[in-house]
Amino acid sequence: MIVGEFVKKAKKGKAGLEDFYVKLFKDLKRINQEYDCFITLCEEEALKQLENLPKGRLYGVPVSVKDALCTKGVQTTGGSKILKDYKPTFDATVIKRIKDEGGVIIGKTCMDEFGLGGFSTNCAYKVPKNPCDKNRVTGGSSGGAAVVTRALDAPHIAIAESTGGSISSPASFCGVHGLTPTYGRVSRHGLLDYANSLDKIGVMAKSISDIALMMNVISGFDERDMTSRKEKVPDYTMTKSVKGMKLGVPKEYFGKGVAKEVSDLVWKGIKKLESKGVKVREVSLDMTKYSLPSYYIAAMSEVSTNLAKFCGMRYGLELPLKKEGFNEYFSRVRSVGFGSEAKRRIILGTYARMSGYRSKYYLKAMKVRTLVINDFKKAFKRVDALAAPTMPVIAPRFEEVEELSPLEAYKMDLLTVGPNLAGVPHLSTPCGELRGMPVGMHLIANHLEEKKVISLGGAFNE
Amino acid sequence: MSKDVIIGLETHIQLNTKSKMFCQCPTKGSDEPNTRTCEVCIGAPGSKPRINREVVNKALSVALALNCEINKRMTWDRKSYFYPDMSKNYQITQYDTPLGFKGKLKVNARVIRIRRVHMEEDPARLVHAGGDIRSSDYVKVDYNRSGTPLIEVVTEPDLRSPEGARDYLRSLLSILEHLGVFEPGDYTIKSDCNISIKGGQRVEVKNVSGLKDVEKALTYELVRQRNLLKRGKKVKRGTRQFSPAGGTTYALRTKESEMDYGYIVDPDLPWLVLTNKKIRRARGSLPELPAERVKRFIKEYGMNKEQAHTLVSDKALADFFEDCVKGYKDPTRIASWVDTQLLKCLNYQKQTIRESKVKPESFMELIRLMDKGVITERLGKELIKDYVSTGKSPKELVEEKGLGTLSDKELKKVVKKVLKDNPDVNIKKDKKSINYLIGQVLRATKGQADPNKIRGLIKKEF
Amino acid sequence: MVTEELVRRVAAVARLDLTKDEVEKFTSQLSDVIKWFDELEKVDTKDVEPSFHPLKTENVFRDDEPGECLSQEESLSNTSHKEDGFFKGPKSV
Repeated sequence: MIVGEFVKKAKKGKAGLEDFYVKLFKDLKRINQEYDCFITLCEEEALKQLENLPKGRLYGVPVSVKDALCTKGVQTTGGSKILKDYKPTFDATVIKRIKDEGGVIIGKTCMDEFGLGGFSTNCAYKVPKNPCDKNRVTGGSSGGAAVVTRALDAPHIAIAESTGGSISSPASFCGVHGLTPTYGRVSRHGLLDYANSLDKIGVMAKSISDIALMMNVISGFDERDMTSRKEKVPDYTMTKSVKGMKLGVPKEYFGKGVAKEVSDLVWKGIKKLESKGVKVREVSLDMTKYSLPSYYIAAMSEVSTNLAKFCGMRYGLELPLKKEGFNEYFSRVRSVGFGSEAKRRIILGTYARMSGYRSKYYLKAMKVRTLVINDFKKAFKRVDALAAPTMPVIAPRFEEVEELSPLEAYKMDLLTVGPNLAGVPHLSTPCGELRGMPVGMHLIANHLEEKKVISLGGAFNE
Repeated sequence: MSKDVIIGLETHIQLNTKSKMFCQCPTKGSDEPNTRTCEVCIGAPGSKPRINREVVNKALSVALALNCEINKRMTWDRKSYFYPDMSKNYQITQYDTPLGFKGKLKVNARVIRIRRVHMEEDPARLVHAGGDIRSSDYVKVDYNRSGTPLIEVVTEPDLRSPEGARDYLRSLLSILEHLGVFEPGDYTIKSDCNISIKGGQRVEVKNVSGLKDVEKALTYELVRQRNLLKRGKKVKRGTRQFSPAGGTTYALRTKESEMDYGYIVDPDLPWLVLTNKKIRRARGSLPELPAERVKRFIKEYGMNKEQAHTLVSDKALADFFEDCVKGYKDPTRIASWVDTQLLKCLNYQKQTIRESKVKPESFMELIRLMDKGVITERLGKELIKDYVSTGKSPKELVEEKGLGTLSDKELKKVVKKVLKDNPDVNIKKDKKSINYLIGQVLRATKGQADPNKIRGLIKKEF
Repeated sequence: MVTEELVRRVAAVARLDLTKDEVEKFTSQLSDVIKWFDELEKVDTKDVEPSFHPLKTENVFRDDEPGECLSQEESLSNTSHKEDGFFKGPKSV
């Protein structure tokens, strides 16, 4: 049942919400046991919410939240040991908007530590397993969100977050829809920062219409996030006809490093859209090759400053205060609190902005980013949207991921970092299966044109 | 002043906005620790900075008043360093694009070049357990101050003496007060003082409060460095702390190798763009500044240059003066009384006019008591001491002490008695002896009579 | 050239104590990554403005109105290092 129908039923009092939630948490615990997708389940809080639920647009809807969003009084770890037991004193704006519309927060989902990963294997707590094959990774960093979305039969929407592909990657690997909105379309207030100029809160769901419904609730300017956009929010559930829409196929996204079988399935998807009246043409995104290093320098520079605040004061992991200086104490806490990938990215990011290297790496990356954005802008002068594979491969096995060097792992983001660096909205939608594993197709539109990818995704899945 | 001394100041001034720089907590109020704090002040994960419009307006007025060129497109930057008073282990400041640059300020006929004026946030307040930074085992942190807006005014190394540094600060302060952006008392001014002498390296004395301590710290450093060189030792580059209690400085342990501010743009904050129109308007609405006020005082009140400078160097004093002369016929008389007698008493009390109990109404009462001849000028100069220390009404003081000029009849009586007691003195024989007799009368009347009048009466008697 | 010395120095700036193993492992891993970063040198960015945000964003302000704060208890709710309403931290020298 799509969520919209469920809300209608619930508003009429026919959803039997109390019983529904008792059963729901039984299912969630079972799924969690099987796939390790939650860091925290919020059964008590959810039942409490039911007692006085606003009859809004999400009345009674179970919503899971990536553990990167602050939930008042509920443990929020960002998937890191350094924030174990941290209980924020406020709700993220997105959480507040969901609760105000009657959505019920059911739990906090697993993720790579602070979002630093593409497979959900850099986890301080549990490493989630792919519901399609438990020997394979879920993709990341919003792995838990994709697992719950895929494995739960009941109506549910997941709130996830993407910096460089963290919604698209797990959506593609687990076979669900995942929308990453335009940078700033959704307020980041209350989001644990990875890279503030790249972070975007988005949605995963089993149907495109569920995504549209959630986007209606969470989008729009928020005075508590000065980078959130003031442009009017359209009704995303009112999709438009795709007939006559121009779809670009960037040739760089079908080249080296992309499995042929994956390309073939995506091409099949494109053909299907063509059959619905979409006009297809080839386009070029010349800077694709350079978007990867540019993205990683930008993201690491920013994250290395964002993670500086974690030092054993005020919140998070603490160690006994010995009669030592602050340098020694901070180093002690940070060395035990952060995992390997966090340490690597902190060191790389610190290096990229140190005096002597700042122009060569940090500022250079920001300039290349301008060229990447221009690439997309140029393409969107010719077409309404772009279509490409979301990930170059199907979900790898755990042991395959273990063998990857950090650089090889970073290069797996080849197809997702471009749109993320440019801050353009993109939707990953399942377009077929390969040896039982899902493959995702990416639909990418210009800034603030979420509606185009939602419409295309809707038409594709009709 | 000596040519071999080079001094430059980096002065941090707290702006008197109502709310903090990046959040809505008030800048003043309760001193109970951590009661004027929110998620932004303590750097809680997920909180986002929100720039206060008034900080920009006030800082812009300062940059314009210091004759700076203005940057029209500015980013906010993160200056990364670890310290227990930092809420995020980076400070939001302006690095590549300071609000103002290439300014100048005329101090005692010398032009001090201003390198830059920029905005940044104040860190938290540290209380050292046991009271001393060196011997404490841990620090206590109060985030009430965290996020208070600061402007930093950086000079070129144009100062040549500790006294010159103090005079520069006094001029700067007077400008800030005339702009209405700073209030001594509730807000603070702190300087990092760089000083080097010929043959030695640059030494920085960090965080010196106010004006007098800057002079003291620099004087101490000057002597220390001269002594080192005299003894054939080296003055090494370093950072020192001033100890106000002892008037000395001591070396701070710094790990220079582990310091690298690694500036990046704060991506949570939008560009700050100033249009020509906005700058023109800000320039047009600058209030009368000290330099203009000095000119006006000379022209309007017939002051000499020195008097005008003295009065205007403290805005409160200049305001006091102008309140006093309202409706009074002889501003020169007031100027002279304020400039000499009043300032002498205030200095003796170690108070500024703002801290004192002196008010225009009561001060003018004193002047008018003299004008009406109720007390003599001579007595007035005595009475002002009591007035400044107690703040009591001069009229009441006169009554309380049984002072007041004697009536002519009573005075005549005293004169007669003095002449009777000194039968040997004849002013006709010895003209100078009249002064002796006047002295005797003054003593007998406790100064409550005008010496000229006494002279007349004595002459008459002979 | 990424050396163990450089890795140690950067880690110190970031207040991370690395074990000997970590230093060794990171040196070769980061070396690869930085070589890859260096590829950006091939891109001509003369006269290109940097993009610190993906979309143009400028002049958003908050009015200077004081508002509500957290209570002292709330501010201190996530730490055990506290005393008399203060946070406690390591010594500052």
